[in-house]
Order: sequence, then C-alpha cells, then structure tokens
Amino acid sequence: MQDKLREIVRKMLSDGDIEYFVGYCQGSEAHRIVPCFVTEESEVEKLVWGPLCLQNLSKYVLRTRDLDGKVGVLVKGCDARALVELIKQHQLERDDFVVVGVACEGQVDPRKLERELGVPLEQVGGIEDGGDEFLVHVGEETRKVAKEAVLRDKCFFCKHPPSFDCDYTVGEPEPFTIESDRSEFAGVEELEELPLEERRAFWRKQFERCIRCNACREVCYACYCTECLFDRNVPRWLDRPPLLEENEIYHLIRAVHLAGRCIDCGECERVCPVGIPLSRLYKKVQKDIAELFDYQAGMELETVPPLVNFDLDDQDPFL
Amino acid sequence: MAVHDTESGGNGFEPKILVFACNWCSYAGADLAGVSRLQMPANCRVIRVMCSARVRPEFVITALSKGLDGVLVLGCHPGDCHYSEGNYFTRRRGLLLQKLLQYVGIEPERFQVRWISASEGAKFAETIGQVTDQIKALGPNRSQNGMQPAEPGDS
Repeated sequence: MQDKLREIVRKMLSDGDIEYFVGYCQGSEAHRIVPCFVTEESEVEKLVWGPLCLQNLSKYVLRTRDLDGKVGVLVKGCDARALVELIKQHQLERDDFVVVGVACEGQVDPRKLERELGVPLEQVGGIEDGGDEFLVHVGEETRKVAKEAVLRDKCFFCKHPPSFDCDYTVGEPEPFTIESDRSEFAGVEELEELPLEERRAFWRKQFERCIRCNACREVCYACYCTECLFDRNVPRWLDRPPLLEENEIYHLIRAVHLAGRCIDCGECERVCPVGIPLSRLYKKVQKDIAELFDYQAGMELETVPPLVNFDLDDQDPFL
Repeated sequence: MAVHDTESGGNGFEPKILVFACNWCSYAGADLAGVSRLQMPANCRVIRVMCSARVRPEFVITALSKGLDGVLVLGCHPGDCHYSEGNYFTRRRGLLLQKLLQYVGIEPERFQVRWISASEGAKFAETIGQVTDQIKALGPNRSQNGMQPAEPGDS
C-alpha cells in the first residue's frame, strides 16, 4: 500500500496536479509517525502508511489555504469527516485540494500499546497489520497483539462519510469493523448516571490538571478561527496567566464551540499532556445533538449544522 | 402573582442572579412589571440584549464559573421574535447548554431560559420570584474551581 501511495503522489507531483502533499513520515523513533510535507518527487520515498499514522491531516490543508497551487492530502475515513465539515463550514472548497483516501484497518493507541506490551514504546521497532491482530516488533521478536486490546477508542465505531468522493484511493477505504461489546457513548452514560455532586467532583479533578498548553485547541481541525477568543484582549474571556479557576471556563467554552462540529477524531485527548478525558466531554454534546436534533457531524455535505438551524417543533422545555 | 419575602431561604443567603432580557419582549415585560409595581425579590441584575440569541453560551459559562448563583435568559415566545427566528436558535442552544452544565455538575436550575412577552409583566415577576426561590434553596454556587462564592447581599 505504501508503494501504491508513493506512486500516486509521484505522479501527481510530476503532472503538476499538486504543489504539496501532506502525508506521514517516520519520526524520531520507530513508534513515532509524524506529518510531513512533500514538494519534490525525490521526497516521495519518505511517505509511509501504517497503524501508527494517527494525526488528522485535514488540519494542515487549512494551513495551506493561502499558498499558491493545490495541496494533496492523505486521509483516513475518519479524517474525511473533518474535510466534509470544513467544506460545509466554508473553510475549504472541494476543488482546492486533492484527496487520497486510504484503507485503514484500525489505528493503534500508543498508550494502550505500551500498557499491553509491558515495555517502553522506545523498544518497539515497528508495527504491521495482521488482520485481527497487530504484529509488533520488539527487539528481535515479533509479538502478536489483539486489535481489540490496543485500538484507539474511536476505531471501534469507525464511520466514513458515505457521499464523500476521494480523488484517489489506496486500497479500498471501507469503515473498519471489529466485534466488540463496547457502546459508543458508554463513557458518557456512566458519568450521567452518577449523582450531580460526584460528576462535579470528577470534572473538577480533571480540569484542575489542565496546564492550559492549548494543545487540544491547536490540534483540533475545527479550531480554524484566525483569532481564538481565548487569545483576544477585548473582550478578555480568560485572564492572561492560566488561572486554575478558569480551566473550567476554557474547557466548557471549547465544548460548546465544538457542538455539532466535533467529529470525535480523538486528537485532543491524544495530545493532552496531562491525560484529561476530553472525548468524554465533547462526546456528551455529540450525544445530545444526536438525540435532540438527529445530527452527526461530518457525515453528509448537504445537511445543515444543528446550531444554525432550527425546527418549529423542537423540544421546548422553557415555556 | 406571588409576593416574595427576601428574608426567606436558608441562612439568609441572597443569591446573585444574572438576567438577560431581550429588548423587544422580556425587557418590556420587566418594564411593565415595574410600572405595575409588582413585588419581586431584588436578587436579579438585568442586562438588556437585543435578542435572546445574542446571549452566547460563553456568557453563561463564564458567569456561573466566576461565581454567580444563577443565569436566566428571557426571550420572546417562539414565533414572536422581533427578528423572526432568533429565539429558535436560543431554544436549541439553551437545551444543549443546560445538559452540558448538568453533566459537569451544575444544577439545571442555575441556568434557565423562559419566554416572556411584553404584556406578561406578571409572568416576569413570577418567574423572577420562582427562580430566586429555587436558587436560594440550592445555596451558593460552588461550581467554580476554588473561587470564593459570591458574598451574600454583595451588589
């Protein structure tokens, strides 16, 4: 698949279809795959594809909006949902970029993998896909790890936008399926059932750890505002120093800003240096939107986002 | 219309409640309540907005997190919006926000939305009374992270 990918990119670059290609390349260690930008045919060999290609590259397409020439991007099915939303939110035009869809057989959660292997990730020499399991090279040996144990949470509920057409495909991108008894909103429901006091205590404990590094915002595909309201001076929503008591404001405002736009790519939670379960917060809003307004972000280009839309017969508890 | 005793409620706790009232209906309703000399508890601070849809969720989140005891958003009845459809957006947002706030441990009574028309002075007074009573019963807002609760009676 990697070869097919390189071949497609090489052809696009030599034909002049694109100026840039955003893909993945090997990072500083074997288990680190990082985004990379290919502009020359000679660089095409850098491109890789595998179960550790975690980043949602659609964010980088946004950053190339002002460049001359088209940009090509490699997307997994879940990342295509981000592109759908960005087109819908008038941030991108479909004609401005070339999409290479890739068949994804599930992505590895590095934290889970480390726990499962019992050895530091630095010792991992590479991961291959082996159907129901991942083949992990550790030192000399190859260890088989069941997918169920190390998959990213979102991969259990893989959803592709059905009407989104890729310009090229590598393999056949189909939603990944795995047998498991998990339910998508289990984490949210578990919290919902707790008494109010305990929920408050739970979130206070989580928010207290936030160091306001803004990584969740920077990595989020939906955070494309040229000036974030948290960075504004007038009005100043948050104090300049990252005050502990304002962490709650930060996270709740982020949650409402993502309402109807969060595609659950899980990047925020992955990059959080202190491990705040952010998906559990954003998924609550997703769940409510699905229940109340029957809407799922990133699936269809035609549907109107729920918060810029209304129905005369919406539920009205406010009479 | 109920007459409310400002001295009632546990431990003489006087909540601070922020009210956003839409210019065209609810603010006029408040005005009517005023000129009709209806009795209301004095715990509310009213901010006039051009439409209930002007109230960004950020306003509510920040107010509650900074220590206000309750936020009440008042708008025209659905269908009566001066801007035709503003309050329909408020309705969707309000519903979502209320659920989100509950999820992080803020009582649903602390953030409420009500529809009050320009002629409903009595309903305005009644709503203010009801909400004040509910929040008094809840006690001070402790949603904020390590901040001191608003001082009773502090204005």
